[in-house]
Amino acid sequence: MYLLALAAVAVMVRGFGERRSLWLKGRPLDRFDRPSQRLMRFAADTFSQRKVLKERQGGLPHAILFWGFLLLFIGTVLVMLQADLLTPLFNFSLLSGDFYRLYALALDLAGLAAMLGLAALAVRRFIIRPPGLETATADTLIHLLLFAILFTGFLIEGCRMAVTELRDNPALAAWSPVGALFARLFTCMDDATARGVHKGLWLLHLLMSLIFLAVIPRTKLRHLATTSGNSLFEPREPKGTLMPVDLEDESIERFGASAVGDFTWKDLFDTDACVHCGRCQQRCPAYLTGKPLSPMKLIADIGELAATEHCNGLIEKVSRDAIWSCTTCRACEEICPASIEHIGKMIEMRRSLALMQGEFPGDETRRACEAIEVNGNPFGLSGVSRGDWAKGLPVSIIKGKCEADILYFTGCYASYDPRNRKVAESFVRICEAAGVSVGILGGAERCCGEPVRKLGNEYLYRMVAESNIDAIRASGARRIVTACPHCFNTLARDYRELGLDLPVEHHSTFIAALIEKGRLKLKPERFSATLHDSCSLARYRDLTDEPRAVLRAAGGALTEMEASGKNGFCCGAGGGRILAEERLGTPIADERLRQARKSGAATLVSACPFCLSMFEDGLKRSNLRNSIEVCDLAEIVASRIDPKK
Amino acid sequence: MNILVCIKQVPDMEGHFVPNAAGSWFDEAGLAWRMNEYDAFAVEEAVRLKERLGGAARVTALSIGPARVVESIRKALAMGCDEGVHIDDDEAPERDPWQIASMIAGFAAGRGFELVFAGMQSEDRGSAQVGVLVAERLGLVCATGITAFEWRDEAMIVERELEGGRRCRLRLKAPALLTCQQGLNTPRYPTLPNIMKSKRAALAVLSPESVGLESPKVSSGNFRPHEPNAAGVILEGNVETLAAQVLEILKNRTAVLGKGGAR
Repeated sequence: MYLLALAAVAVMVRGFGERRSLWLKGRPLDRFDRPSQRLMRFAADTFSQRKVLKERQGGLPHAILFWGFLLLFIGTVLVMLQADLLTPLFNFSLLSGDFYRLYALALDLAGLAAMLGLAALAVRRFIIRPPGLETATADTLIHLLLFAILFTGFLIEGCRMAVTELRDNPALAAWSPVGALFARLFTCMDDATARGVHKGLWLLHLLMSLIFLAVIPRTKLRHLATTSGNSLFEPREPKGTLMPVDLEDESIERFGASAVGDFTWKDLFDTDACVHCGRCQQRCPAYLTGKPLSPMKLIADIGELAATEHCNGLIEKVSRDAIWSCTTCRACEEICPASIEHIGKMIEMRRSLALMQGEFPGDETRRACEAIEVNGNPFGLSGVSRGDWAKGLPVSIIKGKCEADILYFTGCYASYDPRNRKVAESFVRICEAAGVSVGILGGAERCCGEPVRKLGNEYLYRMVAESNIDAIRASGARRIVTACPHCFNTLARDYRELGLDLPVEHHSTFIAALIEKGRLKLKPERFSATLHDSCSLARYRDLTDEPRAVLRAAGGALTEMEASGKNGFCCGAGGGRILAEERLGTPIADERLRQARKSGAATLVSACPFCLSMFEDGLKRSNLRNSIEVCDLAEIVASRIDPKK
Repeated sequence: MNILVCIKQVPDMEGHFVPNAAGSWFDEAGLAWRMNEYDAFAVEEAVRLKERLGGAARVTALSIGPARVVESIRKALAMGCDEGVHIDDDEAPERDPWQIASMIAGFAAGRGFELVFAGMQSEDRGSAQVGVLVAERLGLVCATGITAFEWRDEAMIVERELEGGRRCRLRLKAPALLTCQQGLNTPRYPTLPNIMKSKRAALAVLSPESVGLESPKVSSGNFRPHEPNAAGVILEGNVETLAAQVLEILKNRTAVLGKGGAR
């Protein structure tokens, strides 16, 4: 028997060995630092099933099946220890007395739970069939195998109980209620038959269990190791940190990913961790608005290609349209129960297109890149006039010695776009009312580089980033506030990698703090609103409460849209898409506006110039301009400043 | 094949133009600089031809001007040109087309260029003379403002746009000079490896005198910036309110509604 088991384990190990050689087609990456922390996280994620439980319908039956199987596994190991180690060698009985009663009950219920969990999953997969859940023959076979293992387990128990406990010790049998039910099937058999049947069933059960072991690495069952194991390899950097690109080393002549081998081993491990549960796809704004991108399919495509011999043609396999459709909104990564990193892969492929081919989603995007290069903004407007919006406002242009309390990193949209200039003016009025003096870089500020970086143009990003860092250093500023979440993440997280080490804040938390400390007095006026969470704040920074607190302080009665907070729905402008025409499918912003209107709120509030621009454009397109008003958080607050204070 | 591309660095047209101290041309302070758009079409077409011809073709990018123009030469190299030539001339922005053409022709003479690509005109001075003057001085056939180019065994077929969107097709034999118009192509975005390579490339630096700078034929009198018109007004709303607003404006700001039509 042990020989058989050993053989099955060997087949399993060999299978994982084959997978390992696939993972090792990727480049090296250190995801082994701080092993104890990683192990703790792995254990917590796996045993609590917290990631899979984020969605109840599939998550709860999965967790029940998992916990049931886990107990059964522990129980089986204990039996093995008892039968083949403790009894023969030490003549010690572990499974007896009270412990055995508890053991019997726990295993009995675990088996029942696992069966129920499996049944619920089967109902979901074969009857409910939620969108995005694809069923292959292997899935059906796995369901049957698991069912057969659990069912034969109960049959064995019943058969054993029929000739032992049920007759000799009915009190003990009561501790195995499910087993006792099954035992009734066998009470009509005589002892010898029952023993024969028991042996036969046991062998069948064993055989199926060994088959289960052997097929783990070769089917989706490998997720037992890879999905849970992926918790071990999660990135430890702040969310949204991209792979560094060495622009100094002149010997590097290849950037980004155009073949499977350009990815890291973790990227390829991700393809094995995916169980095609479809959660990412059902939240992907690109997928849901008819664009040819599914995060799930992206991972499957890379996995399929990695399994081929040559591994080339990555861009064609995934398709340019899919690559450029991503808004890097992070909805996929947020929900993924398998810790898969979709966005890093997208960015690597975009880097290949942008840096190696000079390709962008459209000609307008290429022109925007050139405009940023020459003028420091994607509109191609004069860089010198960048600070003109502040003329006549209590704002100083900082040069050399910084007297102002904060440096307001204005960003391109608030500097040039007439709609967003109103947001900048509102922010300045708020600061004025709170007694905070504001300085700006004026013509020395350039685009923060976030959109072009997300489009793969790392070189241009680095160019503007270094110029901005020099300007910020020269300004002598000690504290930076920005009203754009894209600028915010870029300055606070990405510029840090390049050596900028100043506190950076987004205006939503900055205003929230002013109100909380009593520096900003508001005269609340009641209004009904719904907050659109910027992906860069909610999902990249876990900032969802502060903007809501600000709105409430201003008198807002908030209703939530069907997707909100960390589960919010993108406006369509992330990932550099703000610089590209949306030619495929329907506009993402229109879908979000539909959700906003459905919430019943009169005002849709955002805290991001990109979101605001997308919604204003969407309203213009739809001729429903009066159906809902869109504005920035700062505009709401500025219109409610208490004049008496 | 030996190809020459003539490029000029121009200020971005969104900049604020103010006269310089002498009042003869604009002050360069605060302006952002980039490759003249028409010259980018010329670079792109030359590089495409080179790629079609394979290893045998070489493209030389030439620019005349102060040190800042090196950036545009490197951009041309990053787009795929093989060699960069900088005629280092601080006076170039104020030189007349004849002088510029004299230097280009002086450089090109005897170097065996079979094709010369130039922009149709510069975005700042806009004289559209340099290309044709160079052709004349080098004795090359010339077609201006081309919108399509096709190379066929030592000869080429080009298209020119005429008034009102009409087009004509011409056939020329090399050696020739072509000036490039919008619509010819979409200039590529340079790849990073090429940008890196262009940064390392050594440029040939020549003095204006060494390439035969001649004296001007036309001198610049003065330069006046654009005088802005009164700002436009964009009205918003539905037809009824728009009509009312227009009426209001006509009443208050114009005389068209005064005294009826009997004037």
